[in-house]
Amino acid sequence: MERRWGMAIDLDRCTGCEACVVACHAENNLPISSPDQAAKGRTDHWIRVDRYYEGEFPDVKVKFMPVLCQHCDEAPCEPVCPVYATYHNPEGLNVQVYNRCVGTFYCANNCPYTVRYFNWFAPEWPEPLQLQHNPDVAVRAAGVMEKCTFCVQRIKRSKQDAAQAGRPLADGEVQPACVQSCPAEAMVFGDLNDPDSKVSRLAQNGRATRLLEELGTKPKVFYLQKAK
Amino acid sequence: MYLIGEFREKEAVRAAIQALRAGGSNSVDLDLFSEEPVEFPRGVLDRPSRMSLAAVAGAAVCGLLATAFVYWTQHNYRIVTGGMPVFSFWATGVITYEMTMLGAIVSTFSWFLWESGLIRRRDRSAPVPVVDPGSICLRVRCRVEDAARTSEAMSRAGAIGIERRGA
Amino acid sequence: MATAPELLPYSRIREDLFRPLTGVSRNYLRATLAALVIGAAGLVAWSYQLRRGMGVTGLQRPVFWGFYIVDFVFWIGISHAGTLISAILRLTDASWRKPVTRAAEAITVFALMIGGMFPIIHLGRAWLFYWLLPYPNARLIWPNFRSPLLWDLTAIVTYMTGSVIYLYLPLIPDVAQLAESNKTWRRVIYRALSLGWTGSDREWHALERAMKLMACIILAVAVSVHTVVAWDFSMALAPMWHSTIFGPYFVAGAIFSGIAALLLVMATLRKILHLELYLTRRHFNNLAKLLLLMSLLWLYFTMAENLTVWYGNEPKEMAVFGARTRAHYAPYFWAMVVLNFVIPFVLLGVRRLRTIGNATIASVCVLAGMWLERFVIVVPTLGNPRLPSAASLYAPTWVEIAITAATFAAMVMMYLVFSKLFPIIAVWEFKPHPEEDE
Repeated sequence: MERRWGMAIDLDRCTGCEACVVACHAENNLPISSPDQAAKGRTDHWIRVDRYYEGEFPDVKVKFMPVLCQHCDEAPCEPVCPVYATYHNPEGLNVQVYNRCVGTFYCANNCPYTVRYFNWFAPEWPEPLQLQHNPDVAVRAAGVMEKCTFCVQRIKRSKQDAAQAGRPLADGEVQPACVQSCPAEAMVFGDLNDPDSKVSRLAQNGRATRLLEELGTKPKVFYLQKAK
Repeated sequence: MYLIGEFREKEAVRAAIQALRAGGSNSVDLDLFSEEPVEFPRGVLDRPSRMSLAAVAGAAVCGLLATAFVYWTQHNYRIVTGGMPVFSFWATGVITYEMTMLGAIVSTFSWFLWESGLIRRRDRSAPVPVVDPGSICLRVRCRVEDAARTSEAMSRAGAIGIERRGA
Repeated sequence: MATAPELLPYSRIREDLFRPLTGVSRNYLRATLAALVIGAAGLVAWSYQLRRGMGVTGLQRPVFWGFYIVDFVFWIGISHAGTLISAILRLTDASWRKPVTRAAEAITVFALMIGGMFPIIHLGRAWLFYWLLPYPNARLIWPNFRSPLLWDLTAIVTYMTGSVIYLYLPLIPDVAQLAESNKTWRRVIYRALSLGWTGSDREWHALERAMKLMACIILAVAVSVHTVVAWDFSMALAPMWHSTIFGPYFVAGAIFSGIAALLLVMATLRKILHLELYLTRRHFNNLAKLLLLMSLLWLYFTMAENLTVWYGNEPKEMAVFGARTRAHYAPYFWAMVVLNFVIPFVLLGVRRLRTIGNATIASVCVLAGMWLERFVIVVPTLGNPRLPSAASLYAPTWVEIAITAATFAAMVMMYLVFSKLFPIIAVWEFKPHPEEDE
């Protein structure tokens, strides 16, 4: 059976440390914003930690959750791209084809999670960060939309390794950069079509919910709510 | 040969046309020249037209072709939809509609160009009168032997001047 | 009811309406220069944007559509001027429309040309815009016909074709006359454009039949064009965009702004070309009453949309509604209401105030108000997405403002050129028939 990649994030374990954000930057050649561009809201974080503050000091509660592309099974971003730059691949990933994107912005407007990011300028890295680029990942030009790919390059690499070794892909063998770097092990990635995989079992957990589920987008990131 | 009669009044032209047709001239041989459209009641000088039919036919053809184009190309180019239907009529219905309309527009315009005679091969020998503002010119193609009779019919109807051209 | 032009001899009418085509006045040159300067500024801004990237605009996540899309919808809306006047009034046989039709049709064509540029201008990689077209290629890729942006493309291409033909058809008899009365290079152009028109009754009948058919078709196309543009928004899931009312709302708004543009253009032409005898108080009275009617219709739609959102009290939509009516965008929203309804209602509704000057003022207000309406529809929704952490504001930069200004200059420029090549009032259509009822 075809794989269907999904993720589970345990909000009880998440400390909001943003190691996932940094790892994603490093893995996927994300451009670095300058201070004035950041002030204009033009930062590029394929995974971001959303923070919400409740209450007044000293009874402040902070709620946070890492938000990344949900790779929705009925993604609203897909039908609206006029050039077919975003499509649903057979393994359930919502793929963005950088070469094809002409920059109409419609996909980003239709994403209810606002997880799509645009390259406003040609990307820049302050010295010496440009030496740290990942050769497996393209560097995007100005004018192109991008977003989390579930580290598709890592998925491909693991599939190739497993095929060469002549064995099936093991559960937990593919780890996107964010999953790999989480110190609290709050993130789990795997095949939702495999009923024995860790992510499938966590998706059945009583605490599991999905973001904006009522919109019918069928997102594949399961958030395990904090235990009360 | 051609006779060109100049008239100032629409009613005079109408009388002339009716007289000429009674005398045996065909509407094919009659042509009016004016600086604005001249309307007559039905039966005087009808020019049957198939333009509406052309418009509807062109619209239907173009609409069908466009839908077929969308259908075939979406299948031939093997677009990947992740489980969604490859061709969805309602999702591309607007394109069908617009192309239907474009078909109507293009066929109306093309039919107009042809029916008006603007792009047909012209009969160079047919003289085109220079129309004074306020005048209507009636051009009759007739045989030489009928010229006198035709000319008299036109003057009786109220022509202010008659020209002979051709043979 | 006989108006003054019926008492004028035909030769005088022709002379009056052909006179503006010869010679340029000092004001004409000044207007041309101003339009060229502003247009050049816009081109500079656009080339800067192409070179540096979309970052030179004020856009930011999540407000990915800003001034350019507002301008796009605005100009496509203006293009409905011709449709209403020419098509609807032609179909209902309203004779007062006759001096007004060509100017209206010209507005339509030029506004469409300008509006059609914006889907290219707003692209992140504008030089690849042709990828939206279905052409055979070796890369096995194809555009996505299910996207509302592709629907936009087909709709605008169709409307543009129809409008150009609709402008050209009644131009043929006038151009034939101009070919006779002109020398030099003008004669060559006019002769070519007239296709050898002789004024025979066959030609006239075919022309009138074609015009009647085109009027019906153009009306159907115009309604669909602005509906499709509206569906760019309502097909999206964004709060307060996903509304079923958008189709009719935008069409009504388009006709509204179209009439305002037409009134403004007519008033300007009347002053500059001394057409007081031809564009009379009666024409402006009728246009003003139409403008008032559309203002009331606009108010109805706006109320319907906002009242239902407010009453439903759905949190995501209320965030947008609050941003529009109470928070950051409130000045623009309430200015829009004043400009689109309050001022026109007073100036056009009170009989004593309904003068040509006041109608012109009301039109300018409506144009500004309708631009604000598009802004207030596009930006607050994008600025308040479903996940509130991503909310932000939007402000344009000089690039967007320069390009917007340049489009107005382009409109003026195209009109300046048009008015020197063709009579702005259709001479043949205007000659009154003595038997005709008015």
